[in-house]
Amino acid sequence: MKRTLISLRSLTVASTKMYFRNKAAIFFTMFVPIAFIGVFGLLSTSSGSSLTLDVTNNSPSQLSHGVVDALKNIKAFKVTETTQADSTDKLGKGKIDLQVVIPESFGQPGADGRIAPSQIETYYNQAKPQNGQTANLILGQVISGINAKISGTPQIVSLKAVGVQTNNLGAIDFLLPGILAISIMQLGIFSVAFAFVSLKTTGALKRIQATPTHPANFIIAQAVTRLIIGVLQVLILTGMGMWLFNFHLVGNPFEFLGVALLGVLLFLAFGFAVAGYAKDENAAAPIANLVTFPMLFLSGTFFPRDAFPAWLNTITNYFPLTYLADALRRIANEGAHLSALVPDLLGMTIWGIIMFIVAVRVFRWE
Amino acid sequence: MAEALLLVKDLRKTYINGFEAVKGVSFAVKKGEVFGILGPNGAGKTTTLEMIEGLRPITSGSVILDGIDVQKDPYAVKERIGIQLQSSSFFPNLNLVELLRLFSDLYLESSDPMELLREVDLEEKAKYQVKQLSGGQKQRFSIATTMVNKPVAIFLDEPTTGLDPQARRNLWGLVRQIQKKGTTVIMTTHYMEEAQILCNRVAVMDEGNIIAQDTPEKLIRELLGRGFVPKQKVEPATLEDVFIDLTGKEIRD
Repeated sequence: MKRTLISLRSLTVASTKMYFRNKAAIFFTMFVPIAFIGVFGLLSTSSGSSLTLDVTNNSPSQLSHGVVDALKNIKAFKVTETTQADSTDKLGKGKIDLQVVIPESFGQPGADGRIAPSQIETYYNQAKPQNGQTANLILGQVISGINAKISGTPQIVSLKAVGVQTNNLGAIDFLLPGILAISIMQLGIFSVAFAFVSLKTTGALKRIQATPTHPANFIIAQAVTRLIIGVLQVLILTGMGMWLFNFHLVGNPFEFLGVALLGVLLFLAFGFAVAGYAKDENAAAPIANLVTFPMLFLSGTFFPRDAFPAWLNTITNYFPLTYLADALRRIANEGAHLSALVPDLLGMTIWGIIMFIVAVRVFRWE
Repeated sequence: MAEALLLVKDLRKTYINGFEAVKGVSFAVKKGEVFGILGPNGAGKTTTLEMIEGLRPITSGSVILDGIDVQKDPYAVKERIGIQLQSSSFFPNLNLVELLRLFSDLYLESSDPMELLREVDLEEKAKYQVKQLSGGQKQRFSIATTMVNKPVAIFLDEPTTGLDPQARRNLWGLVRQIQKKGTTVIMTTHYMEEAQILCNRVAVMDEGNIIAQDTPEKLIRELLGRGFVPKQKVEPATLEDVFIDLTGKEIRD
């Protein structure tokens, strides 16, 4: 008993040190997911809802400046004042949604001393008609508002819009649980399979077997190290999402962490099955990729599975990564409790048990 | 030389594919001696060692080490011995002190890593990793790891293979030093001059059988007694003596 505890402690310390000093392992299990969240986070916030407008004001009139200011005050618009040539160039390159040109005669008094009717010209990118037309509609509103003011027409019909506080879920809220689930899968399968197979081929594992410690202690130590890394992954990725990209963790953080750790255990069973079966790195790589690759894209991690044909949807329902990603997402997005996630948790547990049995059956120490 | 520390009786290893790696070997090693198992590659030396060490299942026969049956209690045997494997690989990304501390813990011992490193002359490499060591240093470190549990016997599997003459001589000195402290050494080698210099007794293995065992001197005398005449005249010095004389005795790692 004492031997087991001391061996476990010492092997866990050694495994953890080895992990943190292994640059490749840290790169793939820490840096890559962080970069993923960073890139997807930036993409999903910048492409938000703001429409980009370039305005060229050729008129010196007060009214024209009023129009430009009114546009700048609209939250949905990102307005830049520039020359017509520049904005034509940007529109051609698809960098702006709408080009607005105010002619020189705009808002100038006519022969009768009153403001002469004039036109604002807009050009939109036909490749993105939704954006251009939306911008045009809003612009139309602004103009009719000005018209009404100038002509003194009373407003008979008006619209009262009230903003309602919601969870306000964005793309990051869908992506982050998926990316976290993928990181957990990669941690469980790749970091175990490669580290273990390499220790097996070099003979370092045999040297441990030459000591009086039971070899199972080493496996437990490796698993504990991965659980520690798993906790760090959850904390870092979730923290980063909340801090930088407005990620919402609606549910209980401990339930979220608990499901993530169940995921680590599940994929560790996969990892040890691969590590135990493979003779060397060349054998481990294709097996590990064969297992992870379909799940990477078909488990609803990067994009929802709704668009899949029905048969594919049914098959992917049973993927271990689907269970993990769905459970994490439902805790984060809907605030679901574990009691509501029984099917997912059961699915993960059954997969875990199956792969554990496979691992024990196929395991070879050398 | 007192009673037998290791008793091997009719030891056999047959693999699942039917290959007989060891075909019934018997020998005894006395306490405090250096015992050499000699033979060409594939003779069954390593398989024999690994069965004695409790690392490989025994097909038939028996191994008693320090009064303990290896098949009944391999862990008790492992506690009493130190093992240097042919590959001498260790966990990556850990330095020498960290590795020795890990091994001490696995034996429930509290040996001082620096003390062990001093014994094998690697003190100044304490913070190095194994991959940064030279071949001779790796072997010396590997021997240091076998000493953490103050073993009654250590097993060295081809400790000098691939080393330059200086490093090999340096390792011979280390083996003698270990023997002087009363530790029994069981080693394999395919360098005959090494066996002649280090071993009190040797067993010669070929194709899974022990075909001769005795002291090196006696084996040589027997051969000469059978009327053996060397093909070429033996000089009183060898080319290796010339090499060592020219390049110096100190190790270059």
